[in-house]
Amino acid sequence: MPAKDKRHQEVVKKIKLIMRDISNDIITGEAMPILDVPKVGYDNTVWSDQKRMLTIGDKKVQVSPDSTKKIPTFTQYIVMASAIRRLLDEEMESTIRGMYYATLSTVGDEKNKQKFWNSQENSDDAIKAVELLTGVPREEFSVTSKPKGMISGPITLRVGGDLIDCNLGSRATSQLIPTNIRDVEIVNVRADFVMVVEKDTVLNNIRKSGFIQKYNAILMTGSGEPDRATRIMVKTLNEEWKKPVVIFADADPWGLGIALRYKIGSESLSYDSHRLVTPNARVLGMLFSDIYEYNIPEVARLDASDEDINRANDMKNKPWLHDKHWQRELNLFLQRKEKCELDAFFKHGFKYLADTYLPQKLRQAGLI
Amino acid sequence: MLSFGLKSNASVETTAEHISLQATVTSVPRNSKGKVRYNRKAESEFFVDNSALAGFTGERILYMAVRELIENSLDSCESSQALPNISLSLKLLDPMNDIWFISCEDNGIGIPSDKVPVAVCSFLTSGKYVEKQQRGLFGVGLKMIAAFSTKDTDHPLMVWTKSQEEGSEYYFELRTDIGTNKPIVLDKKILKTDQRHIKTESGFMVQAVLRARLSPITKNKIYDYISQTSIVNPYAVLTFQTDEGKVVFDRRTKIMPQPAKEVLPHPSDMDLKTLKKAILNFTNQKTTLTGVLCNSFQKLSSEKAKEIVARSEVGLKVADKYNEHELIKVVNICKQTKFQIPNTDHLSPIGEHILTAGMTSEYTIVTNKQQTHAVEQSQQQLSVKVLKPALTTYSSRVCVVNNRPTIVECGIAYGGDIPSFKLYRFANKIPLLYDEGSDVAREVVSEVEINKMGISKKEVKEQFANPEAKGDRAIELLPIHIFFHICSTKIPYKTAGKESIASEGDLKRNMKICLSDLYRKVSAQIRKELRQKEAESRLHLYKYYIPLIVNAICESIKIDANKLSEAFGRLAERHVKGEIIYSQTIRKEDKITGDKIEEEINEKRESKIVRQNAIQNDNNNHGAIKKGSLKSDPKKNIGSKKKAIGLKPRGGTAGTGGRQTTLDTSEFSKKRSRG
Repeated sequence: MPAKDKRHQEVVKKIKLIMRDISNDIITGEAMPILDVPKVGYDNTVWSDQKRMLTIGDKKVQVSPDSTKKIPTFTQYIVMASAIRRLLDEEMESTIRGMYYATLSTVGDEKNKQKFWNSQENSDDAIKAVELLTGVPREEFSVTSKPKGMISGPITLRVGGDLIDCNLGSRATSQLIPTNIRDVEIVNVRADFVMVVEKDTVLNNIRKSGFIQKYNAILMTGSGEPDRATRIMVKTLNEEWKKPVVIFADADPWGLGIALRYKIGSESLSYDSHRLVTPNARVLGMLFSDIYEYNIPEVARLDASDEDINRANDMKNKPWLHDKHWQRELNLFLQRKEKCELDAFFKHGFKYLADTYLPQKLRQAGLI
Repeated sequence: MLSFGLKSNASVETTAEHISLQATVTSVPRNSKGKVRYNRKAESEFFVDNSALAGFTGERILYMAVRELIENSLDSCESSQALPNISLSLKLLDPMNDIWFISCEDNGIGIPSDKVPVAVCSFLTSGKYVEKQQRGLFGVGLKMIAAFSTKDTDHPLMVWTKSQEEGSEYYFELRTDIGTNKPIVLDKKILKTDQRHIKTESGFMVQAVLRARLSPITKNKIYDYISQTSIVNPYAVLTFQTDEGKVVFDRRTKIMPQPAKEVLPHPSDMDLKTLKKAILNFTNQKTTLTGVLCNSFQKLSSEKAKEIVARSEVGLKVADKYNEHELIKVVNICKQTKFQIPNTDHLSPIGEHILTAGMTSEYTIVTNKQQTHAVEQSQQQLSVKVLKPALTTYSSRVCVVNNRPTIVECGIAYGGDIPSFKLYRFANKIPLLYDEGSDVAREVVSEVEINKMGISKKEVKEQFANPEAKGDRAIELLPIHIFFHICSTKIPYKTAGKESIASEGDLKRNMKICLSDLYRKVSAQIRKELRQKEAESRLHLYKYYIPLIVNAICESIKIDANKLSEAFGRLAERHVKGEIIYSQTIRKEDKITGDKIEEEINEKRESKIVRQNAIQNDNNNHGAIKKGSLKSDPKKNIGSKKKAIGLKPRGGTAGTGGRQTTLDTSEFSKKRSRG
């Protein structure tokens, strides 16, 4: 049964084109078919000063069944592409784990049996490859994941025909951001700015204190590493609706890393940065210097691990953290070797975060 | 310690008789208060008491007996240059008492009848105490058999001999008087025509009864020994018969090696004893010392001899008038003089032809482990398996070890029927089966690298994976047999057991050179095979994956599955065989890049315009399929601050006319509406 949705039909067409090309190559028999897949990873990620985000370089990986190592990979990509086409034609949805199972089989005969996928990592890679080959993000070919991001505040969305007002008061939960952001339409935004926090626990605390009403802000979280939908939402609110975006994360290299996802992008999704990255977002906290300025007691501070130190050293060399402010912060961290979570502010009182710390930071930044 | 006394196996009456006889011959000193008794001990007694010296220790008695008999026969045939026909038999006579029967017949030169008793029974009388390359160890093999037979059983040794000089065949029955080292001749007669045993012009046959235990390990060693003997003596017909059956090792070549020759000792080996012995040879001949020297030692001309005598300042006299002090001076001078390296023509190496003949059809005895329940006497459980390798190589070197010229020969048999790695060691054409771990050959194999020949251990492990392989080195995983043969007038054995060779002088270095040489010759073949195997396993891999790919494609587009499968199969085969030439596609690619470049330019212009309007509308061409492109886009520095000019438009394919897949996020923004 062919796909009904027009967008899905397009994706199917693309996949079919790829297949046809490969089969032509095989039949003419002159050379092994080659898939030119852009390389996604650390060594093919380029910092763009102009765009102020991480972009993908020019490196390509040529996947072709011409060597023993590449045959399985090539097969995996093709099999996954075909499975995705089937998914679309049946107008079904699946997660990446679902795709893993859908395509799982054994390869080989009695003597050496192997699983088609060594681990789910391989099937994830294959899905990514199909994304790269077709130029379509995977949400659009119905391979989704659990929605993670949450939004709360004076904003109205239309999701699949239903109007949703995210300003549900301080008692109810926040609105989950659907994974297929294409299905989401922003109808109305009445807030003055957007605040993104790293953890949903912090979000709930802030929301409960009435922060939204007091400062007319939209609260968002990615619940850790933000998924694409969340990032796209942030970007849209910033660039289309012209709302300033501020980010608060824990005071440790990991938290800083997460904050930077929104701001500069990530290596694994560098090919999609132009859709996901909000260069104008401001990372306001939690700064390492805040630990001392706001008198977080020593008992609430955590010791930095070796990994943290290494990461901080790494970050010092990155071009996007080159300005004096960040260098100072990182040096402070390396010197004191202490990190801290936003939750530590609860020591000062459950409302301290929303009533004192955040407003002070926002005032300093000139948002309120 | 000198002692006499009853033997431990005194159950045999005759032995006890002899010993009591002996007791009367040598008087026992009486009233011995702390006095040390000095008695003369016969050589035979010494050897029997210290049988380990000759290798005749409990477990190995039968193994050594087999060895000695075969070696004697081979030596004997070599002297007469007769193509050997040797027949050996080993049978269990009395299982209760571990009594074995051993017999060996050959067509060698035989032993003259007058010499037989002494040659067979008396220790340390032998034709083998000369400077000559020979197989036997101390020359005591036959005597040990006779002595052991005498002490352990009541069967005499039976000997048939027919020597070339005498023409008629003699029959002897012998035992050894262990106390006196003298033979006891129980019977001697000339055989009449109808009783004759030996069919050839000359020959020798001995039959003996021994008491011994034969463990399965030793039995296998015996089989091994005979198989290996056949490899280095492929011109001999060996017939071996046991209770388990009969095997015949055929003659593979009619060419025999040059027999070894006796040679004069080298003057650098000279000591007081040898000099005195040399002088003794010229007694009553009034020869000068100079004369003795240049006639008794090789590489010693009369001028040189004169020089030596002059330098030692002992004056000129007739040779036998010198005293020991003066002779020592001569010896000292000789030790300080440099002599020419001894030549090697007296040695008898195996030679390339013969060793190759042996290597190309390697015989092994195979025991069929079938349980026969019925009491069938003629069970044929033994058979001969012939291993034919794919290729053999040979190399040899001459060197000097301990002032003795030594020839090192090395052979490799590879592939074909050969199942796995094995190291064969030979010294003076005798197989060495024990103590491989301490042998210099083992060190040589460990130290010479085959990795340098372009064969990596990883490849070998993958392709020749053998769970039984014990060794960890690349060479030990290959199906290869390495043969080392060292021949010399005196082999540098490590221990008295004479089963492993020591690394003396230049020996190891020369062995390593030989082996490296052979590795080089063989490596080309091994590499070829490795590539082949790799290609095969790749093809194999294709077999599994092609159906999956074809399936996936046929699910999505309408195409004939069989046609695609076949085409893919052919493509894979050709690819594996490396026949696919990429040059054509490169030319195509040029056209493509031409197109591509144009497209890129267009897109760039487009994208600039678009960017002015909205950020999201970059053209985003993700990876598309190119035909066989080997050129990659010019690399950019990673992580540098250079301006990456937007997202690179990925070129579309020629042929299908530039598929540009655009990721259109503008749809998303279009849906917004300002409230």
